Amino acid sequence: MSRRVLGEVAVLDDVGPPRRGRAYPAVGATSALLLPAALLLGFLLLVPVLLTLYASVTTDGRWVGAAHFRAALGAPGAGAAVGRTLLWALLVPAVVTALGYLLAAASRRSAEGGLVRLILVLPIAVPLVTAGVAFRLAYDPDPARGLVTLIAGALTGASAETVPLLLGPRLVTVALMSAFVWAWVGLAVVVFRAALDAVPPSLADAVRAFGGSRRDVLWDAQWRPLLLRTVAVVFALVALGTSRTFDLILIMAPGSVRDEASVLALRIWQTSPGTTTGEGAALGVVWLAAVVAGMLVAALFVRQAWPPPWPAEPPETDATPPPPRRVRLLAAGAAIAWLIPLGMLVATSLHHPVDAATRGWWSAPPSVASYATVLRDVDLWRSLLFTLLLATVVTVTVLGVALLAAYPLAWLTGSAAQSTGLLLMAATVVPVQVIAGPVNEVLGWGFSSGTSRGLALVHMALGVPFAVLVLRNAFADLPAEQVRHARLGGRHWWGTLVRLARHNRPAVVAVCVLEFVRVWNDLVVGLLFSGTDGAPLGLFLYGQTRHFVANSGALAAGSVLASVLPMLLVVLARRQLVAGLVSGGIR
Amino acid sequence: MTGPGRLGRRTLLRAAVAAPVAGLAGCSGGATPVRVVVVWSAEELARFRAVLRGYPAGPVQATSAGDDIDAFLNARRLAGTSPDVAILPRPGLVTAYARRGWLAQVEPAASYRTPTGLADLLAPDGRRHGVWVKAAHKSLFWYLPSRLPTPPATWDELVALTRRLGARARAGAGPAPLAIGAADGWVLTDWFENVLADLTDPQEYDALARGAADWQGRPVRAALLRLAELWGVPGAFPGGGRRALLTQFQESVIQVVRRREAVLLYGADFTDSVARTFRHGPEQPATFRFPGARSGVDGPLLVGGDVAVAFAGSTAGVRLVQWLTEVPSFGPWRRSGGYLSPDVSVPPWDYPDAMTQLLATELRQAASPRFDLSDRLPAPFTGSDGIGIWRIMQDFFADVTGAVPPAEAVRRTMVALARAARDTERAR
Repeated sequence: MSRRVLGEVAVLDDVGPPRRGRAYPAVGATSALLLPAALLLGFLLLVPVLLTLYASVTTDGRWVGAAHFRAALGAPGAGAAVGRTLLWALLVPAVVTALGYLLAAASRRSAEGGLVRLILVLPIAVPLVTAGVAFRLAYDPDPARGLVTLIAGALTGASAETVPLLLGPRLVTVALMSAFVWAWVGLAVVVFRAALDAVPPSLADAVRAFGGSRRDVLWDAQWRPLLLRTVAVVFALVALGTSRTFDLILIMAPGSVRDEASVLALRIWQTSPGTTTGEGAALGVVWLAAVVAGMLVAALFVRQAWPPPWPAEPPETDATPPPPRRVRLLAAGAAIAWLIPLGMLVATSLHHPVDAATRGWWSAPPSVASYATVLRDVDLWRSLLFTLLLATVVTVTVLGVALLAAYPLAWLTGSAAQSTGLLLMAATVVPVQVIAGPVNEVLGWGFSSGTSRGLALVHMALGVPFAVLVLRNAFADLPAEQVRHARLGGRHWWGTLVRLARHNRPAVVAVCVLEFVRVWNDLVVGLLFSGTDGAPLGLFLYGQTRHFVANSGALAAGSVLASVLPMLLVVLARRQLVAGLVSGGIR
Repeated sequence: MTGPGRLGRRTLLRAAVAAPVAGLAGCSGGATPVRVVVVWSAEELARFRAVLRGYPAGPVQATSAGDDIDAFLNARRLAGTSPDVAILPRPGLVTAYARRGWLAQVEPAASYRTPTGLADLLAPDGRRHGVWVKAAHKSLFWYLPSRLPTPPATWDELVALTRRLGARARAGAGPAPLAIGAADGWVLTDWFENVLADLTDPQEYDALARGAADWQGRPVRAALLRLAELWGVPGAFPGGGRRALLTQFQESVIQVVRRREAVLLYGADFTDSVARTFRHGPEQPATFRFPGARSGVDGPLLVGGDVAVAFAGSTAGVRLVQWLTEVPSFGPWRRSGGYLSPDVSVPPWDYPDAMTQLLATELRQAASPRFDLSDRLPAPFTGSDGIGIWRIMQDFFADVTGAVPPAEAVRRTMVALARAARDTERAR
């Protein structure tokens, strides 16, 4: 090996000082690799966004100024929907961030910590449709079926007429938020865990050595060096994630409380389902502006590399004792609480459809009849196969397109790198409801035959930005030596690319798993774009919620079946997921 | 290292290129079947597929678009992938699509006859753009005979019965009088339309549906006051009005036939199939007609239904639509139950059970059936979860079962109805 150093001198000169990204091929011929990603994003994100902007200020091509905005925001209920969207974007991330930090700290360095975190991570993998079904079953307003209503009634001593109704108009948003927090806390725990592990313990020792109190340790050895940024990242991630409440509202809110649960996403879909109307576009523009502004603020916090580059030496062995018993019990208790919704879902699914619809799962004999009903349904099998095919095709394509694009982008440094990062992040956060109408128009231009092709294309366009972001950062973080070796070893650019991708296995695995699970768990994209030739799984389950109570056995069984594969994937790949995201996460 | 490495990357690249192409090609291809998009799902879809298997002119592919079929068809239209045939849940959609020129003209089979006035709803400009393929009898109350010896014959008797049972239920001495799936807006609009039909003559009723009459007029006020009189009875619904607003239609059937928490239920003919799934013991629910103001005279029959349309340019679609109107076509669904034909030339004995035979006879003999009003209104007034007349009626229900005085609740509702009608008219 050492002899070959002489051979590398030329390369070293070409590469220059070991600055990030400098070892990559120059922007030139390879920038053509950006073309597939640029075409996808240009046609299916940029053009639709521009068309939405245009539609928000025109009627049949005539300029109308702010008329659509006035009409849309002045309509009854619109103000409340905007306020509720803001509440979601502020309150829910705050709760998730706080809980995530507490549970990450409480489950560190203890024997059962791994198991606790594994349990907390499970809900991330579960489709939001499943989460919605599980929580709606628990919150059923009938005390004979809904365990939470039963307990609430017993605790408050209320009669059947006055028992607090969690799905009722006053509490429905609280019910929805609880389901969302349940689903997202695991993500915060994982990120905080990685961040806490990256804090050198010697720092805490140093603070203690100077007589610092517990609070000083938290402040000087954790918050200031690292946690401030991590909190910003988690908060931003969850805040942007709250645009996914759409799925939950569709599943959980009964028709009579839709308005009390409504947020902008739902409102836009109600105003212009699948097509473009001026008012829908105006609401969309308002939302788009808010999301992009939020993203810019978050980006300000994390302008520097996040998390900080890995330490060159292996981290010092951590001699800090595990957290006190009390705290560990808290973590274990949280893990058990987190299992309850899934447990109730499985319990409901293990009952006869008639029992599931008429009695609580605790008061009826178990049966596999609900599974038998679901498994006999040809449509379920059809939609399982269709979703499997769709998710596989989309994942493979997104990985290919993103690898090609990430390779030349990783070469960029300085402000160019930062601005592409911002652009990619902006593309990641565009809510699909906003651009649904224009996307359908664009799909009509060139891909008018088979519409599952259109559905796949939309999924690809929505998946590519984040995949490029992760892979670009992972490429750029590779040590210069590895890049040199790859460039010497590969005779063509694609040889180098494949070698580099191999060094980045965690990031590649992370992208694949995330993309597959995203498509598998989707409801909204299927709802807006699926064609006559195949119904994805989320849509199939949503169709069954038309008669929620009467269908609850089959619905629970279907939700359990739909969750097995994504849970398995995320649990098996969790190490790569964390490593891949941390090495190439949000920057 | 280089050997396997090279093989690996070649395979990878080839897979990356080939997989999407192969995968997506797999989704299309084969013989081109006639494509039908329907509003039905689950059991109903399976039954309809059984019907389509009898189509002699080749394979038919049926897909469900559920309640969002309008949005679905709009999007498909934009993408240029409209199906050949669609089964729509409301005649209002037929009128809207026909006006935009999306639909082909269709001709039913020679034997096909529907009740008076029904066919006119599908021919707004004198040309027929759709045919009725499924009817719903929407003027029925359901109850278990062991729980209610003599059903009420007039509206006033119904109110008196509700008061009596409601007082008993509040004392904890018996079931509530009424179950209602108020979480589904269409349940409430169907109640409203039955009462409205009883209080108006056909011309007034039609004028409201066409948008030509004032929603703040006398008939609407009278109908709302009547509903407030009944719905406002204390103890009328199991668990109260708040709970009823979270109860879906099928659950309200369970409340009557299985849990027996309520005695009466208003629901269309398809209540029967739900009751069959959930009933407990051998007792079958019985029905009586939605009571009108006068004793001894049935109120007007309220009908709903689903329409088959063919999209412009699809001759295969037009042929399929015509075939659907032939008497034998829907035979498989008729025989398996849960289906009522809009074609009155279908003999009543062709239905499997006495209940459906009776309903078919009533449909046949109805002098002037009224068609579901909300289904004829243009979007968004026509209603959907959280939207239009569904939402307005749910607010009204919350008001009258809550603490709002009936007169005030009626006033608010009429203002909301008039505003919705005006906004819809302006958007057209």
